[in-house]
Amino acid sequence: MTFARKLLQAASALALTATAAVSADIAVVGGKADDLFWNKIKKGMDDACLAVVANGGKCTYLQLQTYDNLGADAAQLVRTAIAQGANGIVVPNWVPEAEDPAIKEAIAKGIKVILINAGNGDKARELGAINYVGTDEYQAGLAAGEYFAAKGVKNIICINTVPGAANLEARCKGVADGAAKAGSVSNQLPLPASSFGDPTAVAEAIKATLLKDTTIDGAITISAGDADSAATGIEQAGLTGKVMLGSFDFNQTGLDRIKAGTQGFAVDQQPYLQSNLGVTLLASHIDFGNLLPTFPVLTGPGIVDSTNIDATLNGVAAGAR
Amino acid sequence: MTETARMSGPAGTSGSGRLGALLRRPEAGALLGTVGMLVFFTIFGGLGFLTVASTASWMNVAAGLGIIAIPIGLLMIAGELDISVGSMVPAGSMTVAIISGHYGLPIWLGIPAALLLGVVVGLVNGILVVRTAVPSFIVTLGTLFSVAGLVLGFSVLITGTTSVAITAPDLAKAIFGSFYIQGQFQVLILWWLLATCAYIYFLHYSRYGNWVFAMGGDKVSARNAGIPTERLTIVLFVLSATSAAFVGMCQAILFNSAQVSGGQSYIFNSIIAVVVGGVLLTGGFGSVIGIFLGTVTFAVVNQGIYYTSFDRNWSSLIIGVMLLLAVLMNNTFRKMALNYTPRKGNR
Repeated sequence: MTFARKLLQAASALALTATAAVSADIAVVGGKADDLFWNKIKKGMDDACLAVVANGGKCTYLQLQTYDNLGADAAQLVRTAIAQGANGIVVPNWVPEAEDPAIKEAIAKGIKVILINAGNGDKARELGAINYVGTDEYQAGLAAGEYFAAKGVKNIICINTVPGAANLEARCKGVADGAAKAGSVSNQLPLPASSFGDPTAVAEAIKATLLKDTTIDGAITISAGDADSAATGIEQAGLTGKVMLGSFDFNQTGLDRIKAGTQGFAVDQQPYLQSNLGVTLLASHIDFGNLLPTFPVLTGPGIVDSTNIDATLNGVAAGAR
Repeated sequence: MTETARMSGPAGTSGSGRLGALLRRPEAGALLGTVGMLVFFTIFGGLGFLTVASTASWMNVAAGLGIIAIPIGLLMIAGELDISVGSMVPAGSMTVAIISGHYGLPIWLGIPAALLLGVVVGLVNGILVVRTAVPSFIVTLGTLFSVAGLVLGFSVLITGTTSVAITAPDLAKAIFGSFYIQGQFQVLILWWLLATCAYIYFLHYSRYGNWVFAMGGDKVSARNAGIPTERLTIVLFVLSATSAAFVGMCQAILFNSAQVSGGQSYIFNSIIAVVVGGVLLTGGFGSVIGIFLGTVTFAVVNQGIYYTSFDRNWSSLIIGVMLLLAVLMNNTFRKMALNYTPRKGNR
């Protein structure tokens, strides 16, 4: 009996030393890689893993098969990572109620966790994760407002096609606060539900607003698609070049406009950096005990404008932007 | 249904005086509603509402909606409904954007492909409604979701994204997606006016029009009277789905971009335009000009808001109240017109 216990102790001691000597084995939980956004996350991870592998470790991408049961499925993937013996997990905290127990379970087992994409610094502290790498909607709005003000734009409308959605309201509030810092103003233009999804109705609403209030010299849309409508609305009002257009997120048409000079800028959350930094920080913590004092780590807002459009387009072609 | 009996027929009304006949046409009430809204927004929006830019503003919105609303109206007159247009609009724009934008194939291949998709979905809707006797609301609800799923699935599978850029050649832009007259009026307005004229002929001057009214009045009797109700139903569904795909296709060309989402507002907006235009929800009664005016009323109310100084947070409230007022004016006037009896010896 005592012999057996001693053997067990020795074995577990051996196992512990073995774990300590083993390099980072990182599991990244994420969305479907065929989704444009998550494809960038996957690329960020793949690129960071070159260094992890060089140090003798490995990475695994655990992807959701559908988004139908987001919280529970993500929690299941965290448990899968635990079962596979990962010593580091990078996971978005999409649905805290569902995922938190699994994340706490992992941390209780000595697994290091970094939250990316969804969550925030407070959540990371509460769970005991070592950091949060991602963005904040309000901060993104703030950056846009400051950008407008820095370019001398005085009166900005924040076109919200889904009034009431918390994250979008946060963006518009950020724009207003950012603009106010430099003495500019921003008001929200909430569009009724009857115009959502009808680009002509959105374009005409923006045109009418610009014609009615001629002091407006800046407009920002809450999505990349709405920016296409806004560009037409501004053109219709004959104000292209006089009203600066910005957008949250971007699509190819938006980047083409920035290149052509008919759109001022786009705010990007830089998903590539979220997984790339997440994996790098976690691996260097597990392998070498490094700990970044910057907390949380914000990957956005990144601004895409004429100064970096060519590099961004290269990044798009490489699948990283 | 007394209204139907009296009003359903094409142009010809006999008896009463010329003015009475004119006022008793089903669209007279709708016209009053439209004029009422124009006056309201001219008063509250100031003269700015009468400028070229603001006229273009509501006409552009009305054009896309109108092209879809008329076939929807015909279906409603015939006693059916098609809500799958909500996903046919993005389906049309994504089809042309994927074929001619993503793959870079000629636009003259992308355009017919988008329209063909409309024909196919319309056939599926029509045949299912005719063969299964499941209410068309349910059948088209099914295709609404199915088509939305197919569009999302294929877009992500093929392009890896939900938004595709497209740059149409000049000729295609000139025909389907550019602005004329001071660069303000979408070419879609011309398509809308042409379509309206064609539908007026179809519903009010060709024999098919009477068939449509007869189907909405009493489908069984209509069939017994020898009207090919099944074929006509399928044709109407093909018209509505193809019109929606057409509008989506034009949007993609105009805005140089197509999104998987969006278009859902067309479902409700087209039904609103049709009902404001005086078509009865129960079917059997209505007119193309009425639907045309209903569409204009809806667009004027929706865009007129932006020329007023009301706080934008109240937009939806004002839209709701104004539409209700327009319909009340329309209905009251129609009742008055229907009860009108010329005095003896008046003519």
